Amino acid sequence: MMTKPGITVSRWIDAVLEKNELIDQDSNLKAVVYWGHAPNSQNRGKEMVEAMKKLEMLVVIDPYPSATAAMAAMARKDGVYLLPAATQLECAGSATASNRSIQWREKVIEPMFESRTDHMIMYQLAQKFGFAKELTAKIKVVKGKGGMDEPDMEDTLREINRGVWTIGYTGQSPERLQAHMRNMHVFDVKTLRAKGGKDAKTGYVLDGDYFGLPWPCYGNSALKHPGSPNLYDTSKHMMDGGGNFRANFGVEKDGVNLLAEDGSHSKGADLTTGYPELDHVLLKKLGWWDELTEDEKKLAEGKNWKTDLSGGQIRVFMKNHGCHPFGNAKARAVVWNFPDAVPLHREPLYSPRADLIDKYPTHADQKNRWRLPVLFKTVQDANKDAGKQFPLIMTSGRLVEYEGGGDETRSNPWLAELQQEMFVEINPKDANDRGVRNNEYVWVSTPAPSKPRIKVKTLVTERVAPGTVFLPFHFAGWWEGEDMKKYYPDGSAPVVRGEAVNTATTYGYDIVTMMQETKTTICQVAKA
Amino acid sequence: MARMKFLCDAERCIECNGCVTACKNEHEVPWGVNRRRVVTLNDGLPGEKSISVACMHCSDAPCMAVCPVDCFYKTSEGVVLHDKDLCIGCGYCFYACPFGAPQFPQDGAFGMRGKMDKCTFCAGGPEKDHSADEFKKYGRNRLAEGKLPACAEMCSTKALLGGDSDVIADIYRNRVLKRGKGSEVWGWGTAYGKPEKGATPPAGAKS
Repeated sequence: MMTKPGITVSRWIDAVLEKNELIDQDSNLKAVVYWGHAPNSQNRGKEMVEAMKKLEMLVVIDPYPSATAAMAAMARKDGVYLLPAATQLECAGSATASNRSIQWREKVIEPMFESRTDHMIMYQLAQKFGFAKELTAKIKVVKGKGGMDEPDMEDTLREINRGVWTIGYTGQSPERLQAHMRNMHVFDVKTLRAKGGKDAKTGYVLDGDYFGLPWPCYGNSALKHPGSPNLYDTSKHMMDGGGNFRANFGVEKDGVNLLAEDGSHSKGADLTTGYPELDHVLLKKLGWWDELTEDEKKLAEGKNWKTDLSGGQIRVFMKNHGCHPFGNAKARAVVWNFPDAVPLHREPLYSPRADLIDKYPTHADQKNRWRLPVLFKTVQDANKDAGKQFPLIMTSGRLVEYEGGGDETRSNPWLAELQQEMFVEINPKDANDRGVRNNEYVWVSTPAPSKPRIKVKTLVTERVAPGTVFLPFHFAGWWEGEDMKKYYPDGSAPVVRGEAVNTATTYGYDIVTMMQETKTTICQVAKA
Repeated sequence: MARMKFLCDAERCIECNGCVTACKNEHEVPWGVNRRRVVTLNDGLPGEKSISVACMHCSDAPCMAVCPVDCFYKTSEGVVLHDKDLCIGCGYCFYACPFGAPQFPQDGAFGMRGKMDKCTFCAGGPEKDHSADEFKKYGRNRLAEGKLPACAEMCSTKALLGGDSDVIADIYRNRVLKRGKGSEVWGWGTAYGKPEKGATPPAGAKS
């Protein structure tokens, strides 16, 4: 079972609730660990509570008791464990931003109250399972909070550096990142690139690095790849952060060449045509094998650029010849291994337009995807006429003031003050037709089998077109009209609580990724 | 001597409320008191614009003119401050201010509003610089630390500029020339009137 692809996070409730004979593993799911994750960002909240009731154990590891804890406390009396985790201010380590750059973070304060760092909790979990030694085979174990052992964070990053060759998470050593943090002023704010500069503490030369060594930062840190601020940028040399499209799908398909055409390559590359990804055979064929050192040759023999732990293949290919270790190919727009090789419009499972369903039907039901059956056509057909009772398209999304499930940001008074109530954006026409005005309570109900309804305030606005309503997904702490404050441990409820939109969202999953359908369903809005 | 001013570029403000949050955090302003806020016009319609508004530290400040106990004073850098020990919470300044800047910690009949609170341009109050009393009543005194207001420093799009009027007017003029639009500076005419000696208004400054 361990070698089979696992169940996706989005489907855990079905792994608990689905009939055992229909799932592709021995037993149903019995225990769930929520580690810094929000339940209210997933759909079918009302069914999730049913799954929580059936679990043998639920663990919440989080700086905040979170909506998970409150939902579980509402559903059951025992078998739920809260493990307080330290915040980012209470531990050091590397942190990757969404622009792929990495920063080194220093600890500001010791972990407060009973909280422990994530890596300490992870180490202790490994100890209980009996593989703590393997977990830290190459990582120093140091004393953390209360004299308890935890993995050293610099060593932890070095462990990542040792293994993650494919996406270039190898060049960002703790020493390089720390030198960047000490010398932010030498980086150009527009290009992100260091102009000169030498770290006074270590003598590290910063010149040419992009701030935070945005991945891919190929090869080992000694290669001094500067990081890649923009992907696939053929206008730059590989060692200046340039690149090209990846040869990841073979060299030809149906008689068509998938590699790059002649003349398409990153600047200064010795190979000026398309080429496959690098391995020891290619390096030998090109006559570049002897540019490896004797030590590198021992580790590189029989390997490719992703498995050569010396990093020598990458060094020779990139630094000496300006070529990309992952090959040089065309971008792929036809994804032949997806159910829809080119994206097709398929009407959502719940649609207000029954007339479009025959023309744009959804997929057939799937018996087994990531160990679970997934329904498509059955749900769509069964709800063909749901639009009559639920005529509004319901979508959900983010607010700037809150993040994710919002437990952390709604607990911060500076942010909470800016968005004090859960709301539904509704067009003036739809509001007037329903006899509701701005800032009034309404019930939003959906055709989910559990018949959920949530009580929210109206925001009558032209931001949404007639026929569509929008609800933010960061709220939690109300349940179908009831404040859940009593279900949070004393004094720990978020400052602002409100209905979670996903209490009411309906069934639906993307056929490729199993991403939950939280953006497209239908609802009715009525005055509360 | 530099003349301190705020300037909000409506072409750039994205209504992220970063300035509001920075202000709240810097000065530990209580819930319900808003020294700064973001106002959005034509919300959800084409041409929607947002601006960040606080005390503009007017050249001829109407709050100063109407205050019956004369609790306001102006620093040599043009920052309008007040003395909470003198303030009687009458609310006249609130009615006089064209920007809605003065805030009161409570609501109620018979002068129960409490002492007025407003943006200090991060310049504290009459108490000794950096004293506990100053922080409690007015918040942090960043100007005395050689720093500019937290809101403008935090602004992610640099829509909100705060500082020496000559410098921020130059920045704004360069922007307007480069983008060829959006030359109207909201609030400057009301707050600062005709240009003071030495200061140059951005191109097309109005009301």
